[in-house]
Amino acid sequence: MAKASYNEARMTPVATHNQSVRQAHVSVQPSVPLYSYVDYFGTTVTAFDIQDLHTILEVEARSTVESRAAILERPINWGQIRDERLVDTYSEYLGATARTQLSHEALANAAAWPGQLDLHECARAVGDFVRTRVQYVPGATTVSSTAEEAWSRGEGVCQDITHITIGLLRTLGIPARYVSGYLYPSSDSDIGDVVAGQSHAWVEYFSGVWTGWDPTNGVGETENHIIVGRGRDYDDVAPLKGIYQGPSSSSLGVSVEMSRIV
Amino acid sequence: MCSVALMGMIFEDDSSGAWNEMFEAPGKPRPIYERLFAEIDRFDPAELLQRSDQLSHTFLDRGVTFAHSGEERPFPLDLMPRLLGAIEWDLLERGISQRVRALEAFLGDVYGAGQVFEDGVIPKSVVTTSSHFCRAAHSIEPPNGVRITVAGIDLVRDEIGKFRILEDNVRIPSGVSYVIENRRAMTQTFSALFSNHRVHPVDSYPARLLAALRLAAPYGIGDPVVVVLSPGVYNAAYFEHVLLARMMGIELVEGRDLVCRSNHVFMRMTNGERPVHVIYRRVDDDWLDPLQFRPDSVIGVAGLVNAARAGNVALANALGNGVADDKLVYTYVPDFIRFYLGEEPLIENVETFRLEDPDVLGEVLQSLDAYVLKPVDGSGGKGIVIGPQADEQTLTSVRDAIIMSPRNWIAQRPVALSTHPTLVDEQVSPRHVDLRPFAVSGGQGVWVLPGGLTRVALGAGELVVNSSRGGGSKDTWVLNDQLVAPRGPATDVGQPPRNAGVIPRQNDEYTDQEAEQ
Amino acid sequence: MSEQGMLSRLAESLYWIGRYVERADDTARTVDSYVHRMVEDPFNDEDATCRSLLSILGMPYEKDEPITRADMLQVIVYDVENPNSIAGAFSGAYENARRSRDFISSEMWIALNKTRNRLPQMESTARLLGPSSYLEYVRERTALLAGLTDATLSHDDGWNFLVLGRTIERIDMTARLLRGRVLSAEHAPDWLAFLRANGAMESFMRSTNELHDANSVATFLILDRLFPRSVLFSLNLADSCLFEIQPSGQRIASADMARQSLARARGRLDFMDSSQLLAQLPELLEMLEDTCLLVNDAITTKFFRHEDAVLWSSEGAL
Repeated sequence: MAKASYNEARMTPVATHNQSVRQAHVSVQPSVPLYSYVDYFGTTVTAFDIQDLHTILEVEARSTVESRAAILERPINWGQIRDERLVDTYSEYLGATARTQLSHEALANAAAWPGQLDLHECARAVGDFVRTRVQYVPGATTVSSTAEEAWSRGEGVCQDITHITIGLLRTLGIPARYVSGYLYPSSDSDIGDVVAGQSHAWVEYFSGVWTGWDPTNGVGETENHIIVGRGRDYDDVAPLKGIYQGPSSSSLGVSVEMSRIV
Repeated sequence: MCSVALMGMIFEDDSSGAWNEMFEAPGKPRPIYERLFAEIDRFDPAELLQRSDQLSHTFLDRGVTFAHSGEERPFPLDLMPRLLGAIEWDLLERGISQRVRALEAFLGDVYGAGQVFEDGVIPKSVVTTSSHFCRAAHSIEPPNGVRITVAGIDLVRDEIGKFRILEDNVRIPSGVSYVIENRRAMTQTFSALFSNHRVHPVDSYPARLLAALRLAAPYGIGDPVVVVLSPGVYNAAYFEHVLLARMMGIELVEGRDLVCRSNHVFMRMTNGERPVHVIYRRVDDDWLDPLQFRPDSVIGVAGLVNAARAGNVALANALGNGVADDKLVYTYVPDFIRFYLGEEPLIENVETFRLEDPDVLGEVLQSLDAYVLKPVDGSGGKGIVIGPQADEQTLTSVRDAIIMSPRNWIAQRPVALSTHPTLVDEQVSPRHVDLRPFAVSGGQGVWVLPGGLTRVALGAGELVVNSSRGGGSKDTWVLNDQLVAPRGPATDVGQPPRNAGVIPRQNDEYTDQEAEQ
Repeated sequence: MSEQGMLSRLAESLYWIGRYVERADDTARTVDSYVHRMVEDPFNDEDATCRSLLSILGMPYEKDEPITRADMLQVIVYDVENPNSIAGAFSGAYENARRSRDFISSEMWIALNKTRNRLPQMESTARLLGPSSYLEYVRERTALLAGLTDATLSHDDGWNFLVLGRTIERIDMTARLLRGRVLSAEHAPDWLAFLRANGAMESFMRSTNELHDANSVATFLILDRLFPRSVLFSLNLADSCLFEIQPSGQRIASADMARQSLARARGRLDFMDSSQLLAQLPELLEMLEDTCLLVNDAITTKFFRHEDAVLWSSEGAL
């Protein structure tokens, strides 16, 4: 039971080169006026406050998105990625945050990678490494877990695998950012079928252009990856955050339903 | 340290190499101080002490205090005023205005287009790693384009008498209440002195501030409701919040008096709620909106940032201004002046070293005891290490801190701050002073309050001048000295004026006119 | 002014300044008269008198060991932590004045601040020489504050809230003191001393040619229409303050709980047979104390709607 609450939802897909948003609509129960703006990271935010007593808060985001798989561009080389100007421009995606900080033990592996690999190969190698060392175990961690916690546990979810991959890439001097979005489970279900999708997280690293990589699934940014927002880590793009006045007894749940229409 | 006795009063001499504000040589006052010196010298020292005592009682009774460690303390006012000549002030006024205009342009750029990064004036990483850089402030455009409604720029005078900028305060600079109260107390205690000096008045400050705040109102609000938002009675500057609210004739509110509904702000009244349009907030960014910043803040207003973003309420000063106060950013301000204004800085910075450069860092670490070391996000003298005065242990720990994060420190060449005769322990001794002028802007040019707050370090040799570290203050007089008619031969100076103790009427009229211009 | 209303938090602070200053004044007057009685009456039972006074003032002493006059003074006069003591009431008034410092006049603020700064020194003197100089100081300062309130503050909503607080406190205190006088007469000052303590001696003498007995004194203190410390006078004043604060909505009196309670109390007094007053006094005084509580609660709910500082909880995140 909350007397009042103030909230921000980040659930609206962003328009990118490979993803155009045909329609996007967020609605809230209890019904209140919504305000939307684009934040520092370019994510569309829906903000609202509820002033009456309420026991349930329901946020529904409906979008129609046309997406296609990203085409892999030729990467810039290691010299270019260490260019002083480039490093300064992307410095926010090179420094560790509390979420992405890793211990020396975890970072010890980083030294081996660049070798003869180009940026794409390196990002994949890092992602694959993380996936072999950290098992995907739903419920093993919480939304507030850090990369280091998941690393030492050896288990985590996509959020943790992404945080760890980001932490390692940044250590290698590759700008990397956290992507929050939805994943359509398979391409072979029929048009119009409603299937259970999921909230998902993956990585974008800079290789001349921002390039997606999904370390949890070991794939690139396919047409099934719908991007909502990017940030330094999860906290910049949390799908829903808010505060309320009242006894602390909130429980959160999320469900994602997706269907192909073309 | 030798002492020179002069006509009854003892002015302790200074041999620290610092610039003496009052004397050009022992016993020989600088020209602008001549008259004051002659007047003060006539006072019986016992009487002076008595007046000083009376002053501190007046301050306690009036509650002119700052809260320190849970205790209300008066901010000691020293009887010896600090004088600034018209020509010198003209330079300071233009220099401060220039500085504020450049910082304003910088903040607009940082939270907007980012041209300053494109053109390589300052590395973007310096801004994004500043602890006061506020991503939530991005693209919030103040209705009148002003982010720095009030600025307090700290100046010091170096060994050769040149003013330098020590730091910029464009978050929530405080201290102006002492300027107003000091003047009120001084005119009561030493009315005779004012009759012989043309001193620029300071009492128009609240009216100037209110006018600037009204100009910040959201679009379409002709008669805005303006409030002062205070963290509450336990805040160190609560007295100032009260004084300003009272002198501007507007409500002093706390976070719990306000509520945001659908991005509109209201205050809770006995007969319902009233809309609020402009908030002169004296609450730090971090505590301002529990939705955006610290959720544990009980002194903020939930939803305030989005209300400002939606353009329904204006916050003065704006969110995120602290990035301009960052002491590493400070080192780039002269470049901002050139970049945004196409002008050369009128007042220079204190010589400062950026420790992110490994060569500079190495050099500084080699001889830490030759530098002043400052944390980039400190204010109020917090965390400052004065190399030449620091012990081994302090130097070791500051060395570790710097090596750990060079971004968070700067090193400065020590400046022997100028000294001013100050009444300490029944004797007049030189004490180090600085100067914080205040600038107000509503978007139609920057207005600088004549004078500002002269803070004095009461400990002998103490270089950090701050109220929370046992500092005091002085009334600061900007003299309109060209307008002072010659007063006859210097031999007359020793004679008491016939109207001692009475402020002549024409003086009042003069100052009134001055205030209106 | 009333159309505009005022900040709820501010209104509450002003109301409490009114209450606390009045409390300090009334307590000083009462303590003075009790102490006087103890000193003058050789047969006085110090322990019982102290207990009686403490109980009247709402701070009953429940320990078995006897209480001395010095102990009693500590509790009722000097204890800053106790909001019912004189020093505590001043401290309460000061804290509320700090919060409303932008509203009250500088002169009121300075008077209050000065008093608070001076009290510790007055206390040291009083511990050596007896409480009378302290109590006299308190009466002077509260009178000064009351005068400054009326003379330097616009008589707007803020002033009305302050006077309302002062008035409610005065009714409450008068009722308590009369109860003490009636229920444990053997410890209380006699009726004339009681009048004197209320500053009512001369007014009373001029108001009546009747016998100066208990009934006529009680009648004067409760039913006199002109004496500003009488209960009836205070009830009328409280009502007019509330009327000024909210002139609209007067059509339906019952919509206003506070005014309703005041009207009910006044109705009782209006139809009172003054010759029977003494007999009905205990019940009447209880009714008055209840009225004060009801009015206090009603205005708190109605006007002081501000929230206490809200502690927000984080929703957590998905």
